[in-house]
Amino acid sequence: MRNFLNLMKNEQIKLFSRFATWSMFIIIAVIIIASGIITFIFDDFVTKDYGDNWRTELQEENADFEEMMEGEYMEGAYTGEIERNNYHLENDIKPSSYDGWQFTLDNAGLSMMISLFTIIIAAGMIASEFRWGTIKLLLIRPISRTKIMFSKYATVLLFALSMLIFLFVINLIVGAIFFGINGLNPTFVQSTMSGFQEVGIMKEIFTEYGLQMIKLVMMATFAFMISSLFRNSGMAIGLAIFLMFAGNMIVGVLSQYEWSKYILFANTDLSQYQADRHPMIEGMTMGFSVTILVIYYIIFLAVSWIAFTKRDVAGN
Amino acid sequence: MGIAMELRNVYKSIGKKEIIKDLSFDIKPGEVFGFLGPNGAGKTTTIRMMVGLMKITSGDILINGKSIAKDYKGAVKEVGAIVENPEMYPFMSGLKNLKHYARMMDGIDDERIEEVIKLVGLEKAIKEKAGRYSLGMRQRLGIAQALLHRPSVLILDEPTNGLDPAGIKEIRQYIRRLAEEENVAVIVSSHLLSEIELMCDRIGIIKNGELISIQSVNGQEEESAVTVSIEVEDKSASREILENDFDLKVAEEGRYLSIKLEKELIPTIIKKLAAQDINIFEVNVRRTSLEDKFFEVIGENTIA
Ligand SMILES: Nc1ncnc2c1ncn2[C@@H]1O[C@H](COP(=O)(O)OP(=O)(O)OP(=O)(O)O)[C@@H](O)[C@H]1O
Ligand SMILES: [Mg+2]
Repeated sequence: MRNFLNLMKNEQIKLFSRFATWSMFIIIAVIIIASGIITFIFDDFVTKDYGDNWRTELQEENADFEEMMEGEYMEGAYTGEIERNNYHLENDIKPSSYDGWQFTLDNAGLSMMISLFTIIIAAGMIASEFRWGTIKLLLIRPISRTKIMFSKYATVLLFALSMLIFLFVINLIVGAIFFGINGLNPTFVQSTMSGFQEVGIMKEIFTEYGLQMIKLVMMATFAFMISSLFRNSGMAIGLAIFLMFAGNMIVGVLSQYEWSKYILFANTDLSQYQADRHPMIEGMTMGFSVTILVIYYIIFLAVSWIAFTKRDVAGN
Repeated sequence: MGIAMELRNVYKSIGKKEIIKDLSFDIKPGEVFGFLGPNGAGKTTTIRMMVGLMKITSGDILINGKSIAKDYKGAVKEVGAIVENPEMYPFMSGLKNLKHYARMMDGIDDERIEEVIKLVGLEKAIKEKAGRYSLGMRQRLGIAQALLHRPSVLILDEPTNGLDPAGIKEIRQYIRRLAEEENVAVIVSSHLLSEIELMCDRIGIIKNGELISIQSVNGQEEESAVTVSIEVEDKSASREILENDFDLKVAEEGRYLSIKLEKELIPTIIKKLAAQDINIFEVNVRRTSLEDKFFEVIGENTIA
C-alpha cells in the first residue's frame, strides 16, 4: 500500500511538473470568469431580481409573454415560463433571485471541458512514458506492472475529481462575487413529471455534476485503454474526443436497430431517465444502462491491463 | 562463490524472426563482463530480457539464482540498469528524476541520493531540468539512477555512448571500483572493443543473435593460440615441413610465413626447421589480440 501511494505521488509530481496541466485549470477559471462577466452585464432576464411587489411583476411578465406569443411562429413558445410564474403565484413562493448557486448549476455543462482535459491526461498517461522512453526505467523496478498501471489509472480519476471540485468551487466563488449567495441550500422551482415543484438546489447541482461524471469516467477510461493499447496519445485523444462528440449522433443514426441500445453512447447519459425525459431507445431502463456501463467499464480496464502487463516493451 | 547472472539457452523470437539464438553464459560477482557485437547483433534485446522488459521465448535467465520469468520482483530487486539511451523526464530536474525512481525502491534515503550524485559528478547540474542535459550528462544521470539501490548486478547498455574521453575514463574507473570493492557483477555492452576492453574481465562476442566466443581480457585460460611469423631462406621447403609434419595451416605474407599455433609448439618447430638446415632470420610471436579476434569473428560488419 505504501508502495502504491508512492507510485501515486510519483504520478502526481509528473503530472503537475508540466505547465500543460496547470493551463487546464487556468482555462477553466478564465472561462468561468468570462461567463460570470457576460451574464452579469448582458443577461438581464436571467439575473432579474424581484422586489416586494413580485406578484405584480410576475403578472406583468405573463402579460408580456402572452403578447409575444401572438406573433407568428411564436405560439406556445413561453407556456413553460407562464406556468412556472403561475406556480409561484398560486403557491405564494417568491421567485428566488439569481445567485452563485444558480450560476454553478447553469455552468454544469462546463464539465464537458473537464471531460476533454481528462481525456487528454488519460491518453498521455501510458503513451507519454513510451514517447519519453522512460517506460524502460519505470518497468525495471521490483513493482508489478499491474500496480503501476492502476496507480496511473487512479491518477486519472483523481485528476478528474480535482478538476470537478475546482470547477464547482470557482463557479461558486465567481457566482457569489457577481450575484451573491442566497443561504446554504436555497430552493427554486423546477418542472418535473408531476408538474412544477420546489426543490433544493444542492440536490440539483449534485445530480447534474454527478451525471456528467459518469460520461467523463467512461470516456477517460476509454482513452486510457487506447493509450495502453497503441502506446500513442494522439490516437487516444483523437478517438476519444471524436466518439464523445459523435457518440449521440451514431446512436441516433442506428436507433432503428434493436441492438443499438447496447452501444455505449446510448447509455452514458443517465439523465434520460429523469422524470421529464424519455429514454433514447424505447424499452431501456436505468438498470439496463447501468449494467451496460459496468460491462463496458470492465472491458476497457481489462484490455488496458492485458495490453500493459502482457506485452514486451520492445524498441520503438 | 555463487553466480550473479546466468543465461540458460535463451531464445527470443519476434514474429517469425529469431533474434536471439541459444545464448548461455554466466557472470560472477565482482566480474565485469563485456557484451560486444556490431549493430543489430542482439545486445539490447538480451538486456531487455535480463530486466524483464521482454519475455524470454525459451530458456531462462537467473539473477542471484532467481528466475526473472518466474520470480520477477525477487530477481529484479538486485538489478540496476540502463537500457539503450538513458531517457529521463525532460521537464523535471535531475534530482527530481532520481527521487522519482528512489520512491519505487526500498531503503533509499536522501543521503544515498547525494552520494550517487557525487559519484557520477553531477552536483552542479542536478537542479537543472534533465531536458537541458547534454547526452553525456544524461548518461551520468542514467548511471546514477541504476546505482541508487546498491544493486548487486549492474547492467549498462552502451554506457560510454556520448561520453568524452575523460568521462569514459571516469566511468571505467568506478565500474572497476564497484566490481572490485563492492563485488558488483557488471555487464557492459558496446559495439566498440576499444571502449570496454580496459574495464572488462571477460568479453562475450555476439553476432546475429548468437554468442560466438568468450574471451578473457588479461588471461590465457581460454585461448593460448598465437600467430607466428617466420622469415626463412627456403620458404617452400619450410612450408612443406610445417604442413606435413605438424599439420599446420601456413599463409605467406611477403617474406614471412605466418602460422597460427599453440605457444608450446614454437620451440619444436624451430628445432625441426634448424635440423633441416633451413636458415631462420626472424621469428615474431604475436598474441592473437582481442581486436584481431573481434574482426575475425565479426568479419565484415554487415547488419543482418
Ligand atoms: N520490436 C522488434 N521487432 C522486430 N525486430 C526487432 C525488434 N527489436 C529488435 N529487433 C531486431 O533484433 C535485432 C537485434 O536488435 P538489438 O537492438 O538487440 O541490437 P543491438 O545489438 O542492441 O544493436 P545496437 O548496437 O545497434 O544497439 C535487430 O536485427 C533488430 O532489427
Ligand atoms: Mg542496442
